[in-house]
Amino acid sequence: MHQISFIWSGLRTGVVAGAPFTAGVLPYGIAFGVLAGQAGLDLQAATAMSVTVFSGSAQFVALQVWSDPIPLAALLFAAFAMNARYVLYGAMLRPHLAGLSPARAYGSLFFMNDANWALLVKQGGSGRWDGAFLFGSGLIIYLSWVIGTVLGGGFGRIIAAPETFGLDFLLIAFFVTLLVGLWRGRRDVAPLVTAVAAALAVDWLAGGSWGVLAGGLLGSLVGAFRPR
Amino acid sequence: MSPDLLFALGAMAVVTYLCRAAGYFAMGYVPLTPRIEAWLESIPIATLGAVLAPALANGGLPELAGFAVALVVMRQTGHDFLAAGCAVAVVAIGRALI
Repeated sequence: MHQISFIWSGLRTGVVAGAPFTAGVLPYGIAFGVLAGQAGLDLQAATAMSVTVFSGSAQFVALQVWSDPIPLAALLFAAFAMNARYVLYGAMLRPHLAGLSPARAYGSLFFMNDANWALLVKQGGSGRWDGAFLFGSGLIIYLSWVIGTVLGGGFGRIIAAPETFGLDFLLIAFFVTLLVGLWRGRRDVAPLVTAVAAALAVDWLAGGSWGVLAGGLLGSLVGAFRPR
Repeated sequence: MSPDLLFALGAMAVVTYLCRAAGYFAMGYVPLTPRIEAWLESIPIATLGAVLAPALANGGLPELAGFAVALVVMRQTGHDFLAAGCAVAVVAIGRALI
């Protein structure tokens, strides 16, 4: 186990290290705010989601399945599915952060995301582990996500008839970029094909957002049980 | 905000936080098995496929073209906003033409 500290300088180092990522997160937040408005969430609801959930991909999938009445099962599945990787991230951090008090560890984990997890692992590679680094780098990214949401939600209302500009397709386009970014090669083919087939079948049979649930579950199980 | 909406947002927040905390918590007791690890790693890809497939199946030619453009530009450049922007432009032009 490493010596672990949780100090002011670690927090400051984290904020500085996380700052460059705000340039990428802020536009994503704005896009989320705009698309949330199109999906029927008002500014309050979109902001509340960004403040409490703080997960771009999960929130984008939530917009895609959003409807009236609120499809709770699909929303919760979206939250779980797009954040399942955090279970692995957290597991990997355990040996390094185990010296922290539970309050500091579990408080900092709320702010964990792809960027600051990678930053922390990189920083830890040089032997310096400070628990406050995860908190600081996460906090600055969190703030830019929330601010972006408010900006996008505010301005988004100005855009009339978004279909004319193809803006309704922005969400789908983002899913494609996410998919390409996550792609790991041949081992992803079987899960993806299974998910697509299951989603199309269930969508045709049941409609609503059940296709997302069925495809996500069946596809990922194929991934879990593929021969290695 | 309606009670239903508040409940849905709260539940999403709880599930997301549990994802962030669960691995850290569990590793204090038992290590994750390779099977669970492989499952967790496969979930995002499968879910995105399941989100995209019905949306594209219900779309027309402009949407399919937009999908192809997003895929190609993202693969070639690795730039997400550029890929999404090109795709949206193609969809808008396609809809104007058809």
